[in-house]
Amino acid sequence: MKTRPGLQLIVGSGLSVYCVRKGISTSMFFKDGWKSAFEGGGLILFHSVEDAMCGERLLKTCGYETRLVAPPPELRKGCDLALEINLVEKVGIERSLGENQISYIDVLPLKGHGELLQIVRLTDFGDAIMVKAGNMKLTFDKHTGNVVNVSGGGCPDIPYLHSQMLNKRLDEAPRPRDIGHTLCSLMLDRAYVESLEIWKKGRQ
Amino acid sequence: MLLICGTVPQKDLPLIKGEVSLSGEYLHVDGVLIPCSQGTAALISAATRTTEYLETDKPQVLLVGDDGTGKGSRLLYDYLIKNLPALSPKVLVLHYMLPIMGLMKKVCESASKVAVRPFMMADAAAMYAAKASGLARHFDIFTPDFSELAFLADPQATHPAYVSRHLFESDVTKVPDLISAAYGNGSAAKMLIVKGATDYIALNGRIIDQVAKPNIPALEAIGGTGDTIGGMIGALVHSGFTNVQAARVTIRANRKAGEYAKATPATPIRQIIEVLPRVFEDHMKDWLHHANNGMAERRMIE
Repeated sequence: MKTRPGLQLIVGSGLSVYCVRKGISTSMFFKDGWKSAFEGGGLILFHSVEDAMCGERLLKTCGYETRLVAPPPELRKGCDLALEINLVEKVGIERSLGENQISYIDVLPLKGHGELLQIVRLTDFGDAIMVKAGNMKLTFDKHTGNVVNVSGGGCPDIPYLHSQMLNKRLDEAPRPRDIGHTLCSLMLDRAYVESLEIWKKGRQ
Repeated sequence: MLLICGTVPQKDLPLIKGEVSLSGEYLHVDGVLIPCSQGTAALISAATRTTEYLETDKPQVLLVGDDGTGKGSRLLYDYLIKNLPALSPKVLVLHYMLPIMGLMKKVCESASKVAVRPFMMADAAAMYAAKASGLARHFDIFTPDFSELAFLADPQATHPAYVSRHLFESDVTKVPDLISAAYGNGSAAKMLIVKGATDYIALNGRIIDQVAKPNIPALEAIGGTGDTIGGMIGALVHSGFTNVQAARVTIRANRKAGEYAKATPATPIRQIIEVLPRVFEDHMKDWLHHANNGMAERRMIE
């Protein structure tokens, strides 16, 4: 049986133990997983096998593509069952897990150093400030606090967030993390939080 | 056919297809009105204004509503996978769509079945998906900004949010190094058009042009000023310009449009797009004269 490098077939793992305990066959979880071309690039790590399986059921119900995998040893924390997800959908997935009280340890990329960009840069245009976080930029009016533009990014929630935030005062605009779904919205959220802080400080 | 594919923020909009026209602040497609705002709508609007100026066929579009859940994007991927050989576009532009690596591979596979291989362009998340799934070399043009170039230069990153800090922190003077790295690790299309304070055009690993004037810093803040570049290039290539001519004209036209529109950070993208015909009218001949002229230039001058 073939799988992607770094992901291991789960034999003799916590999943097997759980399934034996519950009297169910592991094959049902992998029926289409190994055959599909799914390459999500992200991994959710869980404290327990039960959480992982609940998470899988929930996310499938929500329409996310996932598959149960054993995490590569270098990423393993908690139990030895993880969910491969489309990493780009991290924001929506974490929100769904949180709303349904399914606990998890972390969401990580399968490749790379695993840290989200934290760097924020500012450009002062005089009447407006542009705050750049990763590939996203939010520009607000210094005096009114209104969002005057959102640029950068490429995921489909960005035009939606642009339409929802434009011309709204920062403290009245929806927060990208709350209505976005993707990593672009997470970067925009960083820009938003920083913008709000700068604007509030400027008013004091 | 110039076929532009992407999503728009009306989440309940089903997949629509057809010729597009632009009137005032709205695109008209298959009886649906779509605001000309940041994203694929801006790209289509710029392409439409360009084809109007050139008096060539209007763009055909495949659009679907998606607010980020990916439902609309999946419909778009599926449609392309099934129908690309029959659609047989001359130029295919892939834009805002949830990056799904497995589906992008299938789209490229489907594109390879078109009788005459389409000229393939990707920007926004379609570019993220193409790079992350190792398909960059199948594309003719990518149009990254600086942070997206750092993403292309990072062989491990599957999204710009996870770019290595040292690459993201690179000074803009390091753009040539990042371009080299992107080509070196197979993450660049044949041509890269890097948008920024200085715009760069790289072809097969070599920088062939750069433009820094007019310098309009506000353009970076305006949502859609990168999208307009993709739209203009797609329309120009479809009209017979070479990729080099199209790129050289486009990066100059985008800057000039910012100047003509007296862009501020609060300028909506439609105001930039609206001045494009005037920009072309005033400068196209000169730009083509300086570009590597050929058939397209003769056509324009005649």
